[in-house]
Amino acid sequence: MLNVSPRQRPYETLPGLTPLGIPAVAPLPAGESDDTQRLVERFGDAILAAGMHHGQQVVYVKPEQLVALAEFAKSDPKLQYEAIVDVSSVDRSELPADGARFHTVYQLRSYARKQHLMVVCPADEGGDPEVPSLAGVYKGAIWPEREVWDLMGVRFAGHPDHRRIMMPESWPNHPLQKQVPVGGEEVPFTLTWSDPEFESFGKQVMAAESLPPVVPPGMSRENMIINMGPHHPSTHGVLRLVVELDGETVVNVDPDLGYLHSGFEKTGENKRYKDFVYYTDRMDYLSAMSNNLGYCVTVEKLLGIDIPERAERLRVIMAELQRVASHLFWLSTHALDVSGTGMALLMYATRDRERILDLFEMACGARLTVGYMRIGGVSRDIPPAFLGHLEEFLRAMPIRISEYESMLTHGPLWEERLRGIGKLTRDEVINMGLTGPMLRGSGVDWDLRRDAPYSGYEKYDFKVPVFTEGDSYARYLVRMEEMRQSLRIIRQAIDNLPDGPYRVEDRKVTPPPRAELDVSMEALIHHFKLMTEGFQVPPGMYYHGIESSKGELGFFVYSDGSAKPYRLHVRGPSFNNLYAVSKMSQGAMLSDIVTNIGSIDIVLGEVDR
Amino acid sequence: MGLEEKLPEGIITTQLETLVNWSRENSTWPLLFGLACCAIEMIATGSSRHDISRYGSELFRASPRQADLMIVSGRVSNKMAPVIKRLYDQMSEPKWVIAMGICASAGGPFNNYAIVQGVDKIIPVDVYVPGCPPRPEGLLYAMDKLRAKQGKDNFRTYANLNAPPAPATPEDIESLETLRQPQPA
Repeated sequence: MLNVSPRQRPYETLPGLTPLGIPAVAPLPAGESDDTQRLVERFGDAILAAGMHHGQQVVYVKPEQLVALAEFAKSDPKLQYEAIVDVSSVDRSELPADGARFHTVYQLRSYARKQHLMVVCPADEGGDPEVPSLAGVYKGAIWPEREVWDLMGVRFAGHPDHRRIMMPESWPNHPLQKQVPVGGEEVPFTLTWSDPEFESFGKQVMAAESLPPVVPPGMSRENMIINMGPHHPSTHGVLRLVVELDGETVVNVDPDLGYLHSGFEKTGENKRYKDFVYYTDRMDYLSAMSNNLGYCVTVEKLLGIDIPERAERLRVIMAELQRVASHLFWLSTHALDVSGTGMALLMYATRDRERILDLFEMACGARLTVGYMRIGGVSRDIPPAFLGHLEEFLRAMPIRISEYESMLTHGPLWEERLRGIGKLTRDEVINMGLTGPMLRGSGVDWDLRRDAPYSGYEKYDFKVPVFTEGDSYARYLVRMEEMRQSLRIIRQAIDNLPDGPYRVEDRKVTPPPRAELDVSMEALIHHFKLMTEGFQVPPGMYYHGIESSKGELGFFVYSDGSAKPYRLHVRGPSFNNLYAVSKMSQGAMLSDIVTNIGSIDIVLGEVDR
Repeated sequence: MGLEEKLPEGIITTQLETLVNWSRENSTWPLLFGLACCAIEMIATGSSRHDISRYGSELFRASPRQADLMIVSGRVSNKMAPVIKRLYDQMSEPKWVIAMGICASAGGPFNNYAIVQGVDKIIPVDVYVPGCPPRPEGLLYAMDKLRAKQGKDNFRTYANLNAPPAPATPEDIESLETLRQPQPA
């Protein structure tokens, strides 16, 4: 007879949750660290608050001193915050808060000291909200600040290129402001075909008029200006580049983004925490598992829960498999782009990628948009046959990687098209805030898995490949070696995969198993509460970055204590990395733009979000 | 009619319409055009395992002038909508559209300010494929459905099509002199 009696579990609750629907401000940082102490000493009254919040260093600074603080943090030998990784903002109009309506939030990174610093700056009121621009200190702030202006409507004084970046110039509002509705349409619920709702089916109802193109600032019409994209086979999606050419030499490139802008952040602010996991799949759709992981880890940090070891290991297996799959896809399309004869490699690499997708399908039922992870663990345990197939894959894959390398690495065509193309120096990549293989291809020894471990990565033994040339060829070598190292990590994860639960057994986060619902009233209540309201997250803010296949994928969550994030910002690695394309392509040939785009490895779903 | 019995071996009779439809069914060239997640599954459909060339559709054309089929693979943003419309207009008749995935069909999970709630608001769609994203098998099934539709086509459909818009006159084209004028800042 089937035994459906539930296992007895001790129930836990999370302390200090505010009741649903009463928003609360994130508490100010408490305590201090060496770095915050040094900044307080230096800037005195200009520092509104400083200290530790959820284990990260946070400094609130007045806008007058923001640039000075950034310059000091960058140049001071005891601080050395050389790079800015992200700029985001919070509209506080629906919080019970006094003071400035908008806060801008900066994430600074010290690669030398392995430190992270969050700087919060209230925007000046009176007319348009305005803060000084950090573009003069960090080049990496230029695009993120444009994004904040476009979506949140905060002006940046002294910004060199103050245009919208995602939405069309004529867009009437700044969509992330709280008074702007989420938009969209009423969903028709009707079963009658004569209903007017159905009239638009298959008919053109929108004019969808094209606007005349505008020449980007800084380009001269003395040269030839050509348009590349958004429909172009080698832009890897719907990227539009305006290219200024002198003969065949590139003078300037201006990327025009936003053709796939899908309003992820606004949508996230209107979904419960647990429901946004599935949206993250659709951002960087080539590494859905990594996106799941990044989001879940961030929310778990805010919740303050630790997940079971089995779940951690399963997450690592999936994230590393995803990295291999993503790099395989990058490799095949890159080879196709630059050589034009690489169709064979596309077929080979997709064959291996399909094997990984099969493994995903075994684990969670989906190939691409997996939605495998949950806040507090993974959605289900792996089936018994999974490990056998994975072993088989691990046996075959190193040989395949060697095969691909033998097709490319010393191929004259490949070297000709990649060596010395898209060269970036160490200082440039740091200043531009690039991450991932872009960083490691230019000699910066940095990998978040090793230097700021999450999800138990400190337990694995792996090497971080670093090359100093800084060209497309070096980035190719980095990614090939990363695939090998990922396989090593997966091998270690399988060998140490413990038995046990695959989700945290806290009933406030994880719904009870089906069998328990039949016998326990308490389980039924928990299930009902979770399905209708979701769980509430204590007020606070948190930024967490993970090493995705493209670079640092960061999630910034501002919680007001309710079941939905008050502010959800995503730092897409492709977005920040794509900024480098102008620098890489200037002075090169038109055909090198294609190499550079491929070498940056962008996914437009993540660039535009 | 009994005509076949009198003809030598190797000759068959058919209607011109059937013959044309048969050839269209078996060599529908899609536009090389991807939007979002579904584009990755479209590429998977085109590559080794699923092999779309069994349908004669392996030739993804980058130019809309050479393509018969537009597979709208992913979400259509407000900024992208005019581009898709223009690409569709540039395709020559006869042309077909597959709305691949729920985003292209009806907006899907992105019911917000940025996304057009279904590509059928801007261009007519022949086949809708559900899924987020649809599996390659789903897309192949949609191709099957499209073939069935192509098989029922008749010439009269194209007889009453609107005349193409008049070609651009010299006045419409920006002259080199105006291009050389300094641009207002």
